[in-house]
Amino acid sequence: MSTTWNSIPVPRPLQQLFDSVPLVTYDANALPTRAQSNTLCQLPTLYVFASERDARLGLPSYNPSCLKWQTFLKLAGVEFRIVPSTNHASPTGALPFLLPVRTSPTTTAAAAASSAPIPASRLQRYALDHGSRPPPPNAKTLRLDAYQALLDVPIRNAWLHTLYLEPENSPLLEKLYVTWASSSGWVQGTIRHQLGRAAEGEILKTSSSLSAAGAGELDEDAVYSAARDALNALASLLAESETGWFFSATAPTLFDASVFAYTHLMLQVLSEADGEDAARLGVLVGQAGSGELRSHQQRIYQMLWPSQIWSEGESQADKTQ
Amino acid sequence: MVLELHVWGPAFGLPSIDAECLAAIAYLARTTSRSEYRLVQTSPSAVPTHHLPALHKPSANTWISGFSPIISHLRSFPSPSFHDDSPPHHGDSTAYSAFLTAHAAPLIALSLYVSSANYAATTRPAYSAILPFPLPWTEPPAIRASMSLRAAHLGLSSLDTDAAEDASIAEEKAAAAAGWVHIPASLSAQLKSKSVKDALTPEQAARIKLDGLAREVLDVLAEADWDRMVLSARCLAYGYLALMAVPDVPRPWLREVLLQGGYPSLCELVGRFRGPEALAAEKLPWEESAAHSGQSSLVAGLNVGARFAQGLIYDIPGIGEEWRRWWARRRKRSVRRPEDTAGLTQKRRDMSASGADTLLVAGVGMAAVLAVNAGFFLYRSGVPSFGAPVHSWQMVRAGLSSFGAAGAMFSGLNA
Repeated sequence: MSTTWNSIPVPRPLQQLFDSVPLVTYDANALPTRAQSNTLCQLPTLYVFASERDARLGLPSYNPSCLKWQTFLKLAGVEFRIVPSTNHASPTGALPFLLPVRTSPTTTAAAAASSAPIPASRLQRYALDHGSRPPPPNAKTLRLDAYQALLDVPIRNAWLHTLYLEPENSPLLEKLYVTWASSSGWVQGTIRHQLGRAAEGEILKTSSSLSAAGAGELDEDAVYSAARDALNALASLLAESETGWFFSATAPTLFDASVFAYTHLMLQVLSEADGEDAARLGVLVGQAGSGELRSHQQRIYQMLWPSQIWSEGESQADKTQ
Repeated sequence: MVLELHVWGPAFGLPSIDAECLAAIAYLARTTSRSEYRLVQTSPSAVPTHHLPALHKPSANTWISGFSPIISHLRSFPSPSFHDDSPPHHGDSTAYSAFLTAHAAPLIALSLYVSSANYAATTRPAYSAILPFPLPWTEPPAIRASMSLRAAHLGLSSLDTDAAEDASIAEEKAAAAAGWVHIPASLSAQLKSKSVKDALTPEQAARIKLDGLAREVLDVLAEADWDRMVLSARCLAYGYLALMAVPDVPRPWLREVLLQGGYPSLCELVGRFRGPEALAAEKLPWEESAAHSGQSSLVAGLNVGARFAQGLIYDIPGIGEEWRRWWARRRKRSVRRPEDTAGLTQKRRDMSASGADTLLVAGVGMAAVLAVNAGFFLYRSGVPSFGAPVHSWQMVRAGLSSFGAAGAMFSGLNA
């Protein structure tokens, strides 16, 4: 192809045009200076879904996978700050990712390589290398894989359904994912529609009911009763443990962090919305087993965000006065 | 009271072609006597919930579909029917059931549906045998598409050589249409490099990865203590493992890993369920689908025709999806379910389709009818039928008459 291109003579008028207006490729623009100062920090930066205020205070993210890694890094004793971001900012296309410490502007290739962003898949390694109190590794049992499937399928499906497809939760969804993305009503509408369709697709893809059904066939009773069974199973697993952490670990592990990411959001974020359908998942978490999951969530929360408990207590005290 | 369990029909020597249907049949066969239930062989388009297995209670005319909803509904019946007496260990049972649906199902999808050789030689004929006449044209391809979607995250779409072949043919055609140089097929075959990889089937090429995937799943399942699980979890395990172990496929990687890879406990689990006393397809209380509803053959034929048309509409790009959504919403209102067995606080939403919706569907329907008509007239008026060459040249017969006046003079001699 290319050889034939070269051999075709360029028409004279075009030739004249390009002679008078030569094509020049300019060098890439330098990053704006604020980009350097924003990423230049004494602490590594974790990019998550969060509101500006929560990010400044280091409060939990409202996205389950971001919260999972935020919790794990805190458990491991890694010092970091969090910055609100979106999927578009991530090199892998998904949050969270972590930008390691950069003390000098990245001018050399070596410096750029050492400060390359770390995607979620490598965060565990990073936490173990850089944390001051590396948590024990996940239990060496294949049973863990089976329980992990509970988080990946029924509990995740219920979370997706509650947040994205429950009409009563649409104000919450707007606040968390839609409003700050754009101020244009058209764009917001499109985002809302896309999020809903994507969530529906994800649920259908993992649930067995996909086989011949399809769009619009979602059976929400089945989604929530599966989630209730899954939460009960996790509660009974926790009841078996002697230490209060899953699989009798001496300290909370990655699995504890993944469970906390969902239970915390179900209990806290959903409680902000009103309407009984909206809070249904929080109720299920509270009822699972004999309250093991709720106390598990509270223990991790107190351990990692102790000051927050105080301020919440104070604000409640203010309210009662 | 007799319950009706609507399931996919038998295949591969198993009572059903679908894992959850297999599990539901096994559960009923183990917990109750033959007189208390009937099995109806059908396909999802024939039941109002559009999902199998589906439990129909004719006395109350209620429908429940999906394996775990059916099991939790059966448990609400008074003992001893539909109950298992095994010591319960619910936590593990729930976890391993979730694991099976999340990880074993994609493996089966790879082995029976994505892999072109296995699909063409085993799965498609099996569907053709259990579906009434025109339906094998619409339903199995739809199932295959959804199964590929389910296994998509494993990144092994290379097993689907149909898609690859279509792509390469299209590429060649495009090259031939645009190309100034045309290489005859006999030469181009030699031009292509022949490496070892080209000589392997896609399953052989990906064998190490496939083995790894299968082992990751089977290791977890083999470690579980199935005897301590509730019966429903064991039935589900049987459903999935049987579909791995039993079908006789031309590229049996999954079967080889399971049977020869050191998983005697899992093989034994399948064997126990397939044992002599239980689950021989002919011992199960099957019921002829047409006979059970007391329909004349004409009505049954019309029904099948409607299901076929429905399948065709689903396949129209763009419109099919919306149509399916709208249809599902309509149907949801018509399906009666038993009172909320889940016990979750819930209020029934009014799912009534809005007027705008109906308008949209009517408009789309009109447009579709117009498009079909226009296509038909275009087809009748001049466009050659499929496969016929668009232009045809005929070689001029070189006879004596082509030599001008002298030739014409002599041409009479020939005739």
